Formats: sequence, structure tokens, C-alpha cells
Amino acid sequence: MSAVKRFLTTKGLIGIALLGLVLLVAILGPWLVPADFATRMDMRARLSGPTFAHPFGTDQLGRDLFFRVVLGAQTSLTIALAAVITSIVIGLPLGLISGYARGHVDNVLMRLVDTMLAFPALLLALTISAMLGPNLQNTIIAIGIAFTPFLARIVRGEALRVVQMPYVEAARASGTNDVQMIIRHILPNIMPQIIVQATISLAFAILAEAGLSFLGLGTQPPQSSWGLMIQASRDYLDVAPWTALVPGIAVALTVLGLNMFGDVLRDVLDPRAR
Amino acid sequence: MSYFLNRTLSILLTLLLISMITFAVTNILPGDVAMMIMGTQSNPEALAGLRQSLGLNDPIYIQYAHWIGGMLTGNWGNSLIFKVPIATLLLQKATASAIIVVMSMTIALALAVPLGVWSAVHRDKWQDTVSSSAALFGVSLPDFFWGIMLILLFARTLGWFPSSGFSDPGEDFSQSIYHAFLPALALGLGLMAHLTRMTRSTMVGILGQEFIRVSRAKGLSERTVVWRYALSNAIGPVATIAGLQIGYLFGSIIVVETLFSYTGMGWLTYQALLNRDVPLIQASVFVIAAVVMLTNFLVDLFYLLVDPRVRLG
Repeated sequence: MSAVKRFLTTKGLIGIALLGLVLLVAILGPWLVPADFATRMDMRARLSGPTFAHPFGTDQLGRDLFFRVVLGAQTSLTIALAAVITSIVIGLPLGLISGYARGHVDNVLMRLVDTMLAFPALLLALTISAMLGPNLQNTIIAIGIAFTPFLARIVRGEALRVVQMPYVEAARASGTNDVQMIIRHILPNIMPQIIVQATISLAFAILAEAGLSFLGLGTQPPQSSWGLMIQASRDYLDVAPWTALVPGIAVALTVLGLNMFGDVLRDVLDPRAR
Repeated sequence: MSYFLNRTLSILLTLLLISMITFAVTNILPGDVAMMIMGTQSNPEALAGLRQSLGLNDPIYIQYAHWIGGMLTGNWGNSLIFKVPIATLLLQKATASAIIVVMSMTIALALAVPLGVWSAVHRDKWQDTVSSSAALFGVSLPDFFWGIMLILLFARTLGWFPSSGFSDPGEDFSQSIYHAFLPALALGLGLMAHLTRMTRSTMVGILGQEFIRVSRAKGLSERTVVWRYALSNAIGPVATIAGLQIGYLFGSIIVVETLFSYTGMGWLTYQALLNRDVPLIQASVFVIAAVVMLTNFLVDLFYLLVDPRVRLG
């Protein structure tokens, strides 16, 4: 069965559809919806339920939840994507060097990574964000650093596996140097696992951003993100539960899409894990 | 015996590294502890004096040595916001968190193991689709969203459980369980979804092995094959994964305890972070990481006991 065919399962299709929808909203949203739509207050319709004028209802300041969710999508996705890229930029070289060099270098680096893994990712991210001062850029740094040890561990394990392959032996015999070896022979062969891990990390990063913002140590107002919307809804749960439901469902659908996509991607790219 | 000696040394080394990372992370931005104690309007000379007496002008490694020395000798200092000794504070809050951690782990395992096994046995049939989809949906929801839904349903609508607060188990045990139930359930549901997925994939792997086919060929009932032979082989890996989730759980309690105003370790850590109470942040981050590390060590030990194939090496 070809890779494309294996991807076209029900799960894969739902995953692609969900991701496509979220990406479309995140990319086109800010083009189609003027930025002030998310902050415009309709004082006569505060905490209004879904109506014709406000299909998703409004929040405590009478701001339209549909527009806020649409415009928050870009913030949430940008932070998650940048955080995952940060973790790859730090974790990939770390894992590659560890797995390729083996011996003492590997021992020291992995001891450090394992110790980092004892810190719950969310706790680490919260602490870094609180110490640096919460804002958009520091949220990215905080989540990126917190996710680095997971990525470094996986890259190291894969590099260790690939290093023992006959083709690496052959390349070494023909005089390939270390840098060429890593870039030409090791990296391309561990790429599938890195892509799978990045997809899963992206799902966790969305959840982490929501968690950080929910606690007030992530994205700060007046920027709008899904986590911030849920935080703001806490005081109005009794009278307006939809203020929590709307952003909550947005987070859930995005993460669900990423998880489904990641699951199928793993089945296709990494048949051993089936 | 040399195994335990090795492990003990390894644990001590890891604790040392944990303390260094904790100290490094909390010193990234030198927040002025002296200013926090005296307030922003204080006299610059008094501020400089306090800085000197707190050792804030010393090089970073001296400051670290002071801190770790204090931690080792039991002198953990006072919290800047609560104005009480940190060690007492942590001990008291840790009990509250232990209650919900144990409860949520129990809820998660009790539901996830049968569901994961059931799913694996009916692999690719409707039962599997239903339970796998539910689990996938479960891992996609943020913990605080579970929490908010539970508050809406059980506290606001049905009025069965309180939506916030903590009750001391020393005074009234049943009251404390009553208050811990919703936060524990909020944590447990997310955890259950993760564990169901892990149990399922572990069981799928085991059910495909030779000894299962042999057991079936011998004429053993399906129930014995699945629940005794297959499951006893899955316990080790599942316990390991459950143990690794302790780290995830300790991240989540910060959010969930804050949401439910449940005054445990997570809530305390959050208050410390919010108010930049640096000594309290350092102590609680260190304690949480140490607890996670030690739990993982105990899980390794458990694996060793239940699975004779894992030899001490």
C-alpha cells in the first residue's frame, strides 16, 4: 500500500480536515476580519448567548466571541509553532551530538536531559515565563525550553539506532567526515521521527500556551488567545457558560486534529510503532 | 547489592543536578529579592544593606552554595509572601496535593486499564473505535477545560460537590475527600485518556505474540488468556508509563488546584510564581522535581519486582 493510500484513513482525513480548517481560519482570519472586531464592545449585548448578530455569543464586555476566537487562532498557533521550532533548534543538535558521539559526551548530555525531564514541562514553562516576565516572546521561549529535553531524547535514540546501520559503516569506510556524516546520512534517516514528534509537540504546545495564558503567565491582554478567553470566562461561568465553551472547543478541535494527524503520520512514516 | 549502591549514587547526583537547574532557572532574570521584601518605596541605603546581608552581591556560585547549604541543613528560609517558614508550608500543602494525586491516579488506572484491554481485544472493531476515539478526544482537552466542565455539571447544575476549597484531612477525613473529588476527577480524566491509549497499544503488542497463540491452542478460555496471561505481561510497561505520567500530573495540579482554589502544592507554587517569591519558588520547584524523580525510581524498582525477565545489570 502506498504511503498516500495509508494516509487516507478515516482518522487521517478527519485530522487533515480539522487542521485545514484551523489553518485556514488562522491565516485568512486576520485578512478578512478587521482587528478591531475582536475588541469592539456591544454594551447592549453583554454576556449574550448565541444570537443572529453574535453567532457564538459575547463576553462580559460585549465583545463578539466568534471574532475573538478567529483572531485568537493566529496568536495561539504562532506561539505553538515558534515554541516547537525553538525546541527543535536546541534539541536537535543536542540529541544528534549525543547519539553520534556516544561514550562520555552521551553520558553527560543525557544525564542533563534526564534531569530536565524530572521537571514537569508545564512547571518549567511557568517558572521560566514568570522569571522572564510574561509576554508573547517569553511564552515562546518558556514552552520551547520546556519541550527541548523530550525532543533531544528522541533524536538521540534515533541517532543511536542509525549510527549502527551498515550504510553508515560503509560511508565511514569511504572517508566521510563527521559533519558530512551527520548531515548527509544520519539526519535524513531520522527525519520521519522528528516530524512525528514535532506534530505531537505542536499539540502539547497549544495546550501549554492555553494553560500558561489561563494562569496569566502567558499571552497578555490586549492580545487575544484562546487560553486568555477561558481565563476571562471564569467569573461568568454561571450566567454565560458559552464564554468558556467557545474557546475551549477551539483548543480541543485544534489539538484533536493535530493528534489524529500525528497518529496517522506515525503509522505511515514509522511502521515499527504500529 | 551494587545495583542499589549505583542507584543511590545516581539519585544523589540527579538531586544535585536538579538543585542546580532549579537555581539556574530562578536566577535567569535577577529579580530583586531585597526590593520585594522592603517594597519599591524603600530607602536606597537600607535596600543596599539588605542586599549585602542577604548575600545578593556575592557571585552566583557563592549564592548557590549558600542556598544548597541551607536546603541540606534544613534551613529553607521564610516565604516572602506568607511570612512563614517554607519547610512547614510545603509539608502542609504537600499533604493536600498527595490526596488528589493518589485519587486521580486511582481513578485513571481503574478506568483506563479495563478500557485499554477491551479496546485491544476488539482491535479495529467498533468497540475499539469508540474507546480509542473517546481517549483521543480526552487527551486533546486541556485539564482546566475538564475542570470547568465538571464545575458546571457537578457543582453549579447538580450541586453534588463543592466547586472550590480544601478541607484538612486531619480534622474531617470524609470532608477532605469530598472537597478533593472534583479536582481529582479533572486530573484523572485527562490522565485516564493517556493511559487508555498506552494500555491499548501495549496489549495489542502482547496479544500478537507467540505465547498467546500457544495458550489459545492449549484450549485455555479467552478470559484466562487475556486477563491473566496477557495482562500480567502488560502490567510492567503500563506501570512504567503511569509512573512517567506523575511528571505530567504535577504540571497539571498547578492549573487544576488554582481553578478549584484547592490549597495544595500546585496552588502554592502558583502563588509563589505570581508574586515572584523567589525562595518559595526555588524550594517548591526543587521539591516537585525531586518527587517526580524519586517516583520514577520507585516505578523502576516495581518493574524489577513484577518482571523477572528484567535482570539487575
